[in-house]
Amino acid sequence: MSYLIPNDPGRPAAGTAASVRWRSSRHARRLLTLGLFGVFIATITRRPEFAGLAAPALLLLAAGRIQRRPPRVTVRGQPSTRRAFEGELVALDVATEDQGDCTVRWLLQPGREIEPVGAVTADGPAVRFIVSPDRWGRRDLGTVDVELRDRWRLAEGHLTVTLPRIDCYPAPAQQRSQVVLSRLPNRLGEHRARVSGEGIEFAGVREYVPGDRQRSINWAASTRRGRLQVNTFAAERSQDVVLLADATSDVGEPGSSALDLALRGAAAAARAYLDGRDRVGVITYQWGGASWLPPGLGRRQVYRIIDSMLATDGGYDEPSRSLHGASFRRLPRAALPPGALVIVFSPLLDQRFVETLRDMRERGFAMLVVDVLNAEPPLRRHSTDRLARRIWRMEQEAIRFSLRELGIPVVHWDGVTSLDLPLAPYTRRPVVARR
Amino acid sequence: MTAPDDLAGRGARARTALAAAGPRLAAALLGAGCVIWADTGSGVTHKGDADLALFLAIFGVAAGVIRLALAGVPVPEDTFLLPAPLHVWLVFLQTLRRVPWEEGGLLAIVWLEVLHRSPPWHTALLGAALIAYLLAVHLAETDASPAVLRPQVQVLAVGAGLLALGAGAGMLPAAGAGAGSAVLRLVAAGALIAAGALVLPYVAPPSAPG
Repeated sequence: MSYLIPNDPGRPAAGTAASVRWRSSRHARRLLTLGLFGVFIATITRRPEFAGLAAPALLLLAAGRIQRRPPRVTVRGQPSTRRAFEGELVALDVATEDQGDCTVRWLLQPGREIEPVGAVTADGPAVRFIVSPDRWGRRDLGTVDVELRDRWRLAEGHLTVTLPRIDCYPAPAQQRSQVVLSRLPNRLGEHRARVSGEGIEFAGVREYVPGDRQRSINWAASTRRGRLQVNTFAAERSQDVVLLADATSDVGEPGSSALDLALRGAAAAARAYLDGRDRVGVITYQWGGASWLPPGLGRRQVYRIIDSMLATDGGYDEPSRSLHGASFRRLPRAALPPGALVIVFSPLLDQRFVETLRDMRERGFAMLVVDVLNAEPPLRRHSTDRLARRIWRMEQEAIRFSLRELGIPVVHWDGVTSLDLPLAPYTRRPVVARR
Repeated sequence: MTAPDDLAGRGARARTALAAAGPRLAAALLGAGCVIWADTGSGVTHKGDADLALFLAIFGVAAGVIRLALAGVPVPEDTFLLPAPLHVWLVFLQTLRRVPWEEGGLLAIVWLEVLHRSPPWHTALLGAALIAYLLAVHLAETDASPAVLRPQVQVLAVGAGLLALGAGAGMLPAAGAGAGSAVLRLVAAGALIAAGALVLPYVAPPSAPG
């Protein structure tokens, strides 16, 4: 029977009372063999020295029998966090109580995609294991086998404790620069708009009109031109950014698959745009529909976005709203505001998704596709296989070409380098949203 | 890491490896010593049986030592679709870990001692060596330090006394056939029953309350 440790980081660890299954140790069984066989030989051969040979073993067994063994022990366990990013270290403290004189040995059996850091066995009533989740998703930390040994090492008690789950977030890629639209909504932000306003970035000089601030007069230009001139500044606006993660295809090596890269890239983009005071939302496109999170502001939105994307993984609650059916026409304005910049992370393998992108472009959305496909069909020697591979490549190139022809930039990201590198041609100047 | 730290780390690792290898080496040496000692009696009653017992003793002790040496070798969780050599290796490991080699070796060693016409002090020394062998095997398989045996020292001392008493009793002139011999057999049978009563709870341990 396995006992479950609740997951409440930050609070004192609650104890779980667990029954111990006691049984004779191998040491006891060996002593028993020696003792019984010695007495047997002594009786058969009538040689008392063999009874003497059996005596220490029998004496140890008899003395060890007197020892008390606890039928139940209390196990406490607590992970250092409930949420961690891929590769982050998570400490797991486990301890027993009421074990009396018994020695305790712990054996960690890590769960799927959980990598132990350091030893997986430890001795003592309270120990700490360090683990690291390898891949995003809701992960079981695993189980811990607790082995108790009595003072005389003649009996072993066993029990298994199930460790709690943690939510593992995809490790965000590196992205510092931002793609900014040429036409920004009339909302205060940090991006320089084309229209003049109350920002801090110099835009130009114009003639003074009554009502202008005296402090904005450019005295040098006024002296040159003979009339009062004032400095004008660019307005600073924010934009709506909608991240579109394609969860329909997951191809490639686990850990660096298309879905892994899509989630890591989207997490990085969410962090970068929210740092720039933009409103960021997410739409996760999957088989049978889409789920979305409306654009929002603030640091917490990063976690809400990642939670929303991870909802595509099995076993998650549904934190965001969802829509059945593949068309985005029925998405509410709150999920896909007009004039928003749409950044797509997709391997572009699903034809329906590509059609959806075309549809969105025709509706006037400014879009940028980050191609996260880094896998190809396996290279085989057969000529038909080679031909199929060639056709597949041509199809992929055709899909990307047709998107570019529609005015949707497609950049390829390998998942290793910073996202700034493929986005560089579009971050140097504002992206013009052509209708 | 600086050079002194590196040296200290290496020293610590070497000490840990030595501490882990120590009980295994001791178990191997004590097992081999027991086999050699049991085979060095003054004469053999049945040569064929003695050869068989010697073979079984060597086999049991050697397999036990190999088991201890390979105790740390991990076994993959998924054993499907493995290559044949790896599969054979896993079956070998599984067999090595499941079979009680040391028990078989113990029986063979004691049988070997019976087949030799050894003096009682010879058997007593073998008994002491066997107990030491069992303790070393236990320390090796649990990676425990010898300090865990400290609570057992007094009992082991009493056991050594009983061992000496047994050897002393064996050195006394043998009782001939008659009433005295029957009494001795009765006493031996009583001792056997008492031993059985002592160790019976280990065969069928009581279920834990609750």
